[in-house]
Amino acid sequence: MIHAVDTILSLALLSILFSFGSSRLPALIKVLAFQGIVVSVVPLFIVQDMSTGSIVFTLVTLAIRGIVIPGCIYLAIKKVAIQREVEPIVGYHASILAGLLLIVGATFASHHFDAPYSAVSVLLLPTAIALLGAGMFLLMARRNAIAMVLGYIMMENGIYLVGTTFSIRARHIVEFGILLDVLAGVMIMAVILQNIKQTFDDVDTARLRTLKE
Amino acid sequence: MIESVLLWTFALLTAPLFAGVIFKVKAFFGGRRGSPLLINYFTLIKLFKKGSVISTSTTFIFRLGPIVSLAAAATVLLFMPIGGHAPVISFDGDVVFVLYLLGLARFFTIAAAMDTASPFEGMGAAREAYFPIICEASMFMILILFYRLSGGLTLAAYFSGGQPSGFWQTAGSPLLFVVIAFFIILLTENARVPVDDPATHLELTMIHEVMVLDHSGPDFGLIEMGAFFKLFFYASMVARLILPFELGHPALNLGVFSLGLLLVYVAIGVTESIMARFRMDRVPKFVLTSFALAFFATVITLEFLK
Amino acid sequence: MVEIVFLIPLFTGAAAFFLPPKIGRLLLVLTGAVHLILSVMVWTARPAPIFPEYFALTPEGLLSLLVISLLFFLISIYTIAYLKASELWRETIFTGSMLLFLATMTMVTLSDHIMVMWIAIEATTLASAPLIYTHRSAASLEATWKYVLICSVGIAMALLGSVLVTVAMDVGNVDAPISFSAMAVVARQMDPVWLKAGFVFILVGYGTKMGLAPMHTWLPDAHSEAPSPASALLSGVLLNCAYLGIFKTNKIMHAAGLEGFSGPILVVFGLISITAAATFILKQTEYKRMLAYSSIENMGIIAFGTGIGGLGAYGAMICLIHHSLIKSSLFLTSGNILLGFGSRLIQQTGDLAGRMPKTFIAFFGGFAAISGFPPFGIFIGELLIVVAAFRAGHYVGAVFLLLSLCVIFAGLAHNVMKISFDPGDTPARITESASLVWPQYALLATSLVLCFWMPDTLYQTIKHAVSAIGGGF
Repeated sequence: MIHAVDTILSLALLSILFSFGSSRLPALIKVLAFQGIVVSVVPLFIVQDMSTGSIVFTLVTLAIRGIVIPGCIYLAIKKVAIQREVEPIVGYHASILAGLLLIVGATFASHHFDAPYSAVSVLLLPTAIALLGAGMFLLMARRNAIAMVLGYIMMENGIYLVGTTFSIRARHIVEFGILLDVLAGVMIMAVILQNIKQTFDDVDTARLRTLKE
Repeated sequence: MIESVLLWTFALLTAPLFAGVIFKVKAFFGGRRGSPLLINYFTLIKLFKKGSVISTSTTFIFRLGPIVSLAAAATVLLFMPIGGHAPVISFDGDVVFVLYLLGLARFFTIAAAMDTASPFEGMGAAREAYFPIICEASMFMILILFYRLSGGLTLAAYFSGGQPSGFWQTAGSPLLFVVIAFFIILLTENARVPVDDPATHLELTMIHEVMVLDHSGPDFGLIEMGAFFKLFFYASMVARLILPFELGHPALNLGVFSLGLLLVYVAIGVTESIMARFRMDRVPKFVLTSFALAFFATVITLEFLK
Repeated sequence: MVEIVFLIPLFTGAAAFFLPPKIGRLLLVLTGAVHLILSVMVWTARPAPIFPEYFALTPEGLLSLLVISLLFFLISIYTIAYLKASELWRETIFTGSMLLFLATMTMVTLSDHIMVMWIAIEATTLASAPLIYTHRSAASLEATWKYVLICSVGIAMALLGSVLVTVAMDVGNVDAPISFSAMAVVARQMDPVWLKAGFVFILVGYGTKMGLAPMHTWLPDAHSEAPSPASALLSGVLLNCAYLGIFKTNKIMHAAGLEGFSGPILVVFGLISITAAATFILKQTEYKRMLAYSSIENMGIIAFGTGIGGLGAYGAMICLIHHSLIKSSLFLTSGNILLGFGSRLIQQTGDLAGRMPKTFIAFFGGFAAISGFPPFGIFIGELLIVVAAFRAGHYVGAVFLLLSLCVIFAGLAHNVMKISFDPGDTPARITESASLVWPQYALLATSLVLCFWMPDTLYQTIKHAVSAIGGGF
């Protein structure tokens, strides 16, 4: 039978596809929250011996990645009350096909690497690479500024999963610092988003094209 | 062999009965008692008693359409392992044959529709030709998955004997995505909500009904029967996937299979009751979801197998 | 107790958000002065850090620390006068952010752990974002958005690279702390494939922050939209800090014997940056953007020199130090021009020599310095890099470098002549008070003096820093 980790990782991959095909921002934020929770919870399943410090740290990571960061963006959206749907650069059908190709590519790529935890779950590395690629795709293929920030958060989740998949030793203080940095970055981005909405009355980044060369 | 033929006859005879379940479920959601379960039989008898009215602008293709669609639907049931028992005919590669037989039926239905020279029917034919393309992609994705899991290319290899339970054991939870993808394909191929509303009266919103608008009397009866058989075919695949139990005695297997079929038809009825028909440009996205799910399930499962 | 050097600005920065603006200005200068004194003390006394696994005193870190301190002190003096002359909407945010910026940059120079360095560099991005948005216009909002997004994405790549470097350690079964100095010792045992992959990601990531093309697109916008003291810090200091990350990783590559891989990549990125700067600088209509492209060019030269190694690495370090001094003085001067003429467009300026003579001296001197004229330091640095390129056989690269330098000189000269000597009649809007002019003079003078004479400790530290990447005579 399948390891429990595999189930949640495959659901995370499915959520990537869902995020590509969805046009509604609240749905995208919920997907991101789910991915944050999955990514934070994975160490609980795969690491053999967890000290109390590790467990506490994992729970804090879960709270920040799964609740605080999506909450920040959600509050930013509510405050600016986005009305108009912004047409993306890459359409939704093409995005879903791109997402499928991404998952296949991630699966192929992960066969070339020999990660320490591959024996536990064969889906760890593909999910990490897919999250990374999906975040970059959202950054490049969407014109909506909020979707770009969500792409950045997805990328950070992917990098975190790469870290937990690859490295054997846990270095908690440092990971905590990284997390705080990401959190601060997201908060600043949320503030900028609000200012963009107030200044331009729109979050379409095509409006942010005046500075050239 | 005899049992297979008996099971096939059982399928042919009970297909209208199961289709009547959908009406009952929809009525239940509407707070009504609804039509009796045997309504489809009464409808068929009524239709066969009538005479046909054939438009003067049609050719022999128009009369061929219903016959081919019924013949194809009945033939594909010959290949389907009903109740998990071996089917009447089975040869290597019959899966592809079955799919293209259904495609042949669809081609003739479309040709018959366009033969009437009516603009509405041409419109419906265009839509009918478009949506199943993506369905075919999904079907083939699922077939690839089943082929890698079982190693054979016959419907018997996938749905009879130890089979769908074997799939569940090897592949596990990704198969759930396959079930959902299959269900979406079922809804699309059989012109159910949310792809098409079988109860609509407006020609502009029809996809499937508009193609058969001009058929009447026995021709229409043949088309209806073909539709029942086709629905039975798809539903039996989903039924075997969700209740893959092998209980030893053929009668018990048939019972479990009928229960599975009932569940699938009830699910169709529930879907029809709680969802509205999608706007036309959302339908491809809906069908693409089934392709994405099938593809995803294939990648994940094959990942596990490696 | 080395960490106090960045803890003090951290606290004063946090405090400046809540104190009234006048006290904030005072706090700015005081912190600058204290920071300078502490830096000199760190140089002479070399105290030990409290958290030795995270922070350490490296020669390149010490160099950057001294440069940061000197620059911030002089810039803070200028800022007081600048803030008096211009009206800022929320001055507390500006002052607080400047101080936090100083704290985070200091943290970068002192960090030794690979992840702590990442945290510090990302923190500099976050601390400087409010600075760019100070004037609250649509253009500055766009510049801030591009800055935060592009730099954060780039730095995320650097995080991935850092993770891959730690993987190289795990795969090689090396048990050492994840600090740059420890890794340089055990570098030969680390897995080369993962190390190379990590280096590429770190180069792309921190290169985004440093302004290497093609990841440089945020730089002209951010540096031109920010107020001039902030631009001086961004251009003069922040790019150095990003370079530190690349430098330390390059050190590990050299220690692992992989300089044949890292060198050419650095050379290529350097050449692309120089060419991109040369291409765009010709069409500039704003003087601050022109200076920003000049920064990109200089960063390209530094990357090129580092990639060549040997004498080139020494030249790159010289260029780094002198570029900080000269570019920040140029940006401060541009602040004067903005205050004097009220516009960032070159067309709206003119006759700087007549209307604002003291600024003109600093401006022209800075222009000569950044173009590589003796007796300023960049001349020596660029000369050494070109010589090293020819010695190493990179003829094509050296020719490209020289051509681009000529093109950039032409672009700069064209605009500088226009600003300085084009006819103009309305008088300047400000009077050139001492604190608006003397910081630039001090910076230029430092560069001039350092070209001829370096204190021996400084010389030894530079040699020590570059010897690890194969530099030196």
